[in-house]
Amino acid sequence: MSHEKDKLFAEAKTPQPVTREESRRDFLKEVMNMQGGEKILECIQCGSCAGGCPTRFAMDYSPMQIIKMINLGMKEKVLSSSTIWVCSSCYTCATRCPRDVSFATLMMSLRNKAIRENLVKNGAKLNFHKYFFEVVNKYGRLHEPELLVKLLDKTDFRSLRSNASLGLRLFKKGKLQIRAPKIKQTSWLCTILEKTNEKESQ
Amino acid sequence: MNILLRKVGGSMSQKPSIGVFICHCGGNISDTVDVARVKETIGSIDQVKVAETFEYVCSNPGQEMIKKAVKEQGLDRAVVASCSPRMHLDTFRQVVKSAGMNPYFLEMVNIREQCSWVHDDKAKATNKAIALVRAAVQRARYLEPLTPKNLKVTESVLVIGGGIAGIYSALELADKGYQVYLVERNPSIGGHMSQLSKVFPTFDCSACILTPKMVSVAHHPNIKIFTSAEPIAVGGSSGNFEVKIRVKPRYVDLKKCIVCGECAKKCPVKKPSSFEENLVQEKAIYVPFKQAIPNASVIDKDYCLYLTRGVCGICEKFCKGEAINFKQEDELMDLKVGAIIVSTGYSLMDPKLVGQYGFGLHPDIITNLQFERLMLQGLHKPSTGEVPKKVAFILCVGSRTTTAEGCAYCCKIGCMTAIKQALLLNKTVPEAEPWIFYTDIRAHGKGYEEFYAKAREHFTTFVRGRPAEVVREGNSLIVKAEDTLLGKHIEEPFDMVVLSPALVPNKGAKELADMLGIDLGPDGFFLEVHHKLRGVETKREGIYVAGTAQGPKDVRETTMESMATASKVATFLGKGEISVSPEVAYLIPKRCDLCGTCIDQCPTRAIKKGKNEVIIDPISCIGCGICVPICPKEAIDLKNTTEEQLIAQIKGIAEGEETALRIIAFVEKMTAYGSADLGGQSRRSYSPEVRILRVPSIARLGIKHVLHAFAAGADGVIFVEGDDSVFREDKLRERVIHFKKDLGKFGIQSLRLQSTTTTLPQYEKMLTLFDDFVERVKKMGPITREKREEVKKYLEGDKIVA
Repeated sequence: MSHEKDKLFAEAKTPQPVTREESRRDFLKEVMNMQGGEKILECIQCGSCAGGCPTRFAMDYSPMQIIKMINLGMKEKVLSSSTIWVCSSCYTCATRCPRDVSFATLMMSLRNKAIRENLVKNGAKLNFHKYFFEVVNKYGRLHEPELLVKLLDKTDFRSLRSNASLGLRLFKKGKLQIRAPKIKQTSWLCTILEKTNEKESQ
Repeated sequence: MNILLRKVGGSMSQKPSIGVFICHCGGNISDTVDVARVKETIGSIDQVKVAETFEYVCSNPGQEMIKKAVKEQGLDRAVVASCSPRMHLDTFRQVVKSAGMNPYFLEMVNIREQCSWVHDDKAKATNKAIALVRAAVQRARYLEPLTPKNLKVTESVLVIGGGIAGIYSALELADKGYQVYLVERNPSIGGHMSQLSKVFPTFDCSACILTPKMVSVAHHPNIKIFTSAEPIAVGGSSGNFEVKIRVKPRYVDLKKCIVCGECAKKCPVKKPSSFEENLVQEKAIYVPFKQAIPNASVIDKDYCLYLTRGVCGICEKFCKGEAINFKQEDELMDLKVGAIIVSTGYSLMDPKLVGQYGFGLHPDIITNLQFERLMLQGLHKPSTGEVPKKVAFILCVGSRTTTAEGCAYCCKIGCMTAIKQALLLNKTVPEAEPWIFYTDIRAHGKGYEEFYAKAREHFTTFVRGRPAEVVREGNSLIVKAEDTLLGKHIEEPFDMVVLSPALVPNKGAKELADMLGIDLGPDGFFLEVHHKLRGVETKREGIYVAGTAQGPKDVRETTMESMATASKVATFLGKGEISVSPEVAYLIPKRCDLCGTCIDQCPTRAIKKGKNEVIIDPISCIGCGICVPICPKEAIDLKNTTEEQLIAQIKGIAEGEETALRIIAFVEKMTAYGSADLGGQSRRSYSPEVRILRVPSIARLGIKHVLHAFAAGADGVIFVEGDDSVFREDKLRERVIHFKKDLGKFGIQSLRLQSTTTTLPQYEKMLTLFDDFVERVKKMGPITREKREEVKKYLEGDKIVA
């Protein structure tokens, strides 16, 4: 599993130009075949997704703008937007969407697509997802301290120091566990993830 | 489906002499079809006494020729091969009738729209014409004399629902002189309109235009009002319905109550007022509203102490007119009416279903109907009683929502209501700040767009974006939304939030539709027959729909539609009698074992179970024939498409040269057949191998008919059902799947059977399917003679295939 993903992540760092000229509909149809994109034409641009999005402030385009852009076939802009990486998958938009568009699910599909198409703009966020998977693969669930350490490793010492006090506070409140929580059968989860990966890459 | 057998035969008259008249149609037919050869071939069939061709059979000399032949040659069956029966069936029926023959002894063959106009190969077209005429001749042998029934109609109308729609239709019909029974579920007529303050786009006072009409209804000599009443059973048939209604007790004598209000003053129990949309409390004995009709008090039996616990009874002591009567009970009444109008109206969807707006969690989050009541009570915040300054109107709450709890359609009145309320708010509180959160403003009526402009001129703030949520913060309500035009997030505090919930059908619509035997659309509202041309008629003759029972509407549209409904009812009743087609299902009592399979399947509820018999009401029956093949004992048959007639016709149409490919298309007689005719009129050419056979509905056909077709020489069978038929697409598909399985038992490929539905203008789709199907069957090749023999043997009852 991790080999496959690793390969993808490695490739993502060496951008390759998209050569084929694609029409507006091509991208739209492609998205409609993705998970979460089935009902994208149902969108009436009402904005209830954007209005309730908790991470909207950090996005360059709002969720409804992303849907409109998909409709207009703006592939590069959609896949290189920060929106798809900033989405925290809280599913508020999907719960409230009057047209049953599963926006949060679509964001995940778009992330995969962005990696495949080498259109990821923000490398740091990509690292986050990479380490997230590494940790989850190891223990079967998330172990925050390890993820933090992995992330901080790559950046400079000063930020590590500034984060230390925050880490200490979290630790005191029992939010950070030193020992990694482990599920009984990590291999099962790995199998699931591997299978999913196989299916995705088809 | 069981494959059952019944010996065919019996009812053929001794030796009918048949006359066949073939039309040239001035070359329209004779240019493509060799009419002389048709005449020659058909003339050689046994019992065909006369075979003639003529330039125009429909012309005067042509008609005279038929009459002369009937009289002089003693014909007792006539077959006219010309244009579509949709065009001239009535003409020729009149011709034979005037010659003394029963009009149902005439059979028409369509060799123009479905033959000469659509084929180019003369030899093939002629062969097809021969097959079609031969089928008609075979069928003609078994024709039976039929007479349409004329029934007198009851000249009275039942109007279910006393809102503005019911009131308007009732008045219109009563003025025309019909007796009208107006049945209303609530203790007063008036409906939702009586709750409104002013109505858009003219700011008429709603009560001022409604209540005079209510008074007219009350005083009209031809209208009888039943309040707190509902129909509980509907029997009889179109033109002569027998309706049972239940009048619930009011516990107050209508004649004695003088509405002095003493009782309500003394009553110790309080309950939320439904007229005031639960914003105020009223007593358990109350007058629905000031202008109520009938104007009298009523006791709510769910709250009254005397009726719930047997104590109190104060109102009875204090009523000077002795109007209170706790002994009243449900009263059942039988009404005989000729027609029924369904005007049951709408309810507001429960806004709690759209959880993010917090309806029910804060008293200042209200519906637009509650806002109407607040306007009339004197505008105030329900929580504190202060005058609201900043009000948010949220549109499309539950409307245009495709999730499970929402409604996919537009509520049609939300936009204009919010605009009206924003303007009213500005009128009452000049410094007020109305904000309208909309998705799309729909101002589609006369004067509506101007009304929308007026709201903008009055500084109403319009925000394009459906709010994400409403949260409480201190004393104000924060509306969080995205201004989609700016692409900016908004969080604004408001004093009050007004929601526009979706309109949904009134509760009980489904039960009423079942009781009446009419349909509801996918949205749950009553379904009209045709969206544009028959907008107030339901599928059952004599039952009509008016107002929001049919779909969301504003007051203007409702009143106009109600008058249209009244006019339709008057036309129906005005004829005085109703002619009932004799082409209906009938029972063969000897075979019936009272299993009741047919009763559930009948789309118009024409079949009922009697004491020791099954009764088919010939007046309610629409002759679709769905009951015929599903009867396990074959105890039902359909007049004018009897088993004998149908099988004879199938055999006639499937016969022909062994080598030529033959496809039989069974086509539903109204929509689908009309569609094929339309293809002919457009000269849309298709494979001449396809021979069309007109049936009342595909529902009439059983596996036996398909087997007969294959046994007699068909290589493929197509079913075409009309899109608006009672035999819906899913049922058709289900039946075809069964047939395909059954065909498999005989080793006949299931691909030789195909089904489709069509609307009238969709002939291209249907005819393309014909062509594709012919190509497919060509590749499969003809069915072997051995197989045909095997099926034939089975049909003769010699051998049962497991």
